[in-house]
Amino acid sequence: MQGKNKISNRQIKALLVTTIVGVGVLSLPSDVAIVLNNGGWIGILLGGLISIPFIMVINKLFSIDPGKSFFQISYQVVGRAVTKVFLFIIFSYFIMVLAYTVRLFSEVIKTYLLENTPTEVIILTMLLATAYIARSKIEVLARFAVMIYPIIVGFVIFLLVVNLPNNDFTNILPLFDIDYKLIPRAVYASFFSYAGYEILLFAQHISEDESRSLKYSVGSMFMVIGIYLVIFFITLSRNGIHQLKREIWPTIAVIKEIDLPGYFLENLDGVVMAVWVLVVYATVGPFFYACGVTIAEIFGFNSHKLFIPFLIPLIYIIALIPDNLVTVNEILGSIGNYLNVAAVVIVPIIILIAAYVRKGREKV
Amino acid sequence: MGDLVSRDLKENIEKLKYIFKDTGDIIFRSIDIGRDYKRGACLVYTDGLVNAPSISEHVIQTLFRLDKCDDFDIRYIKSNIMDLLAREAIAIPEVKEEDDLDKIVDAILSGQTALFIDGADKVLILETRGWPNRGVNQPDAETVVRGPRDGFTETLKINMTLIRRRIKDPKLKTVLTTVGRRSKTDVAIMYIEDIVSPEILEEVNKRLNQIDIDAILDSSMLEFLIEDNYLSPFPQIESTERPDSVAASLYEGRVGILVDNSPFALVVPATVGTLTQSSEDYYSRWTIVSVVRFIRLISIFISSLAPALYIAITSFHPGIIPTRLNYYLEASRINVPFPAVVEAFLMEVTLELLRESGSRIAGPIGTTIGIVGGLIIGQAAVEAGIVSPLMIIVVAITTIATFSIPKYEWASGFRFIRFIFMILASILGLYGIMLGAAVTLTHLSRMESFGIPFTAPYSGLGIKEGDLKDTLVKAPIQKFEYRPAFTFPRNRRRMRKR
Repeated sequence: MQGKNKISNRQIKALLVTTIVGVGVLSLPSDVAIVLNNGGWIGILLGGLISIPFIMVINKLFSIDPGKSFFQISYQVVGRAVTKVFLFIIFSYFIMVLAYTVRLFSEVIKTYLLENTPTEVIILTMLLATAYIARSKIEVLARFAVMIYPIIVGFVIFLLVVNLPNNDFTNILPLFDIDYKLIPRAVYASFFSYAGYEILLFAQHISEDESRSLKYSVGSMFMVIGIYLVIFFITLSRNGIHQLKREIWPTIAVIKEIDLPGYFLENLDGVVMAVWVLVVYATVGPFFYACGVTIAEIFGFNSHKLFIPFLIPLIYIIALIPDNLVTVNEILGSIGNYLNVAAVVIVPIIILIAAYVRKGREKV
Repeated sequence: MGDLVSRDLKENIEKLKYIFKDTGDIIFRSIDIGRDYKRGACLVYTDGLVNAPSISEHVIQTLFRLDKCDDFDIRYIKSNIMDLLAREAIAIPEVKEEDDLDKIVDAILSGQTALFIDGADKVLILETRGWPNRGVNQPDAETVVRGPRDGFTETLKINMTLIRRRIKDPKLKTVLTTVGRRSKTDVAIMYIEDIVSPEILEEVNKRLNQIDIDAILDSSMLEFLIEDNYLSPFPQIESTERPDSVAASLYEGRVGILVDNSPFALVVPATVGTLTQSSEDYYSRWTIVSVVRFIRLISIFISSLAPALYIAITSFHPGIIPTRLNYYLEASRINVPFPAVVEAFLMEVTLELLRESGSRIAGPIGTTIGIVGGLIIGQAAVEAGIVSPLMIIVVAITTIATFSIPKYEWASGFRFIRFIFMILASILGLYGIMLGAAVTLTHLSRMESFGIPFTAPYSGLGIKEGDLKDTLVKAPIQKFEYRPAFTFPRNRRRMRKR
């Protein structure tokens, strides 16, 4: 078929947005507000803008040899042994992200939907369900993402429309009262919320039109920045900065206060959390897939399907290491953040530089 | 290649009689041709499958009269007698020569007549098929208020005609093959040559050729044999009783598969988009159809999720619904001795029982079952306090929603996963339902129909080209300038703009 085993650039865009937007957005407004107060938006904006050059690096990486996968390019440029080391870094990053996301979300579910269910059960069922999509091809992930994409966009629009009449937008001010020394910390706080664009490493080479996919991936980044900013301003204007800083899940807190005219659903937070299960599923799925593909490549297997079931206990154990929500952020969050920088920023840059050095040498 | 026909009539007949031993419905009619020099001949056919008056009038009588013609002396004709007979004597529209005995047997069994003549090494196969048909009736499963009322019958030829009448284009191709080693069921693959994507057509041929089974009794059996994922609860091939629906699909670049003895035609590829279309959509005004399309999407959710949501809300998340509704719900359930799960399963199983018995039993008694089930059990169960009235409402809405999905198999898929959702809801509440929904969506995304993603156009393929115009809503016919893109048609333009 003309379009078989290919994904369109629109699908890549949807895949990026659904992978990036996940659990992070539920806590992001207070994370940055704690550091920068009303100026938290600048942390969100910069955190997103900083990610764009890294997307460009990944994109450039694929232009070394169009049509080849990330693994093939890496083998070609830095050799097999170094690539395997890189892959191991990427693999441990994915494991960390998965453990972090799954644990965090199970805490959210426990708070808002299933008070009496053990965390272990929630984590395990989540992993078992996502294992199904993780065992699929990347095309399936892309198709799934396109169907989840309207849910995210619809959620943001819904939040905006419902809150517009009630919110006090003077709460946003002062916009530019920012302590500039704290900006790096705010960026650090928001940077991890933008993790997920590395799925490009596994998707871009089968894009229908690789030359134009940069436009779409950068576009999806702007989309995410927009979504995060809208949610930040809504949570800020709804309750003011002091309450925002106290909330653990400010986004859900805002939803909890919504009173729908017509009085059909009383507590929207439960409903939204239920819908958010789909969104988180669309985040965990691609990470899980990428994790499986990476470990399969380390062991030299063509199919990643075999590895997915063995990853479930590993992620499950790591996710249960922290005792409570605070230590989840301290342990899994910070390790994940460092590995994020290593796996998504440093590794592609090294490969790209190595490629240029090689090219230069060949010319001489 | 089997045995060839010999020049000796007796030997041929003996061979045939051996093949058709103890087969009461095969008729051997021996006659002699010629006045002075008698030449033996024998007609072999299956009783009941042939048009007997036509044989006696156009074959036997003309053969008897041959001796009255002066220039047609049977003595001098030897080698090309079959050709001569076909040209000058036998008044049957379609005849052909055959010398392979196996093929002759197949022809006889399919209702054709074999004419053996002594001294000829070929046999004349006469097209004499004719058997009692059910006439072209209104389709039972897919009725329309406005639109054509003819439906397929059990006879392949009639079905092909019904489609041909709607596509008078030489590019409409009908390739005939047979499937089934013993049943030798005729199967027709229909497509419009310059629209259909060659890849899809090749895939259809490949899968049909791979089948090695002894009998096909209905198109559904063929469907299960050639679909992509036979373990799935959802159909990946569309089946329809309506010739207009098949013709419309062919114009979209899809492939129709007609099976003899089955009033249901298969259409491939099928997607989520095409399975929620009904042929009446195209005969009604676009505004209301767009609304109805939306309602169908909702009814998919209701039919698979409603009882599960009832379980989840009553046992896990009573806080989601308004407090006053909650009081009412609790008050109505106060006499119900079971948890919501048992209550829901009880009612759903009762309903499935009613549906099953109602569809197995003929007309008038079926109505009785409806009365017994609907009025007596429903009313009595509530009064006895076994189920709450709200549960009855939920079950009723679920069932009605199931019937509003136009394709029966597609609706049955959701009917099946409803029970899985109910189990998930009883263990993990809303979280379980949403995990189930995510897995179902994944399953749909994983499926393909003849190489086409099953979730098209909602999952990307064809959105850019505007396929949502005819799936999510239905735009006015003026907007359908191009064929849908999901079938990769070779010729995209359907209409010139005015």
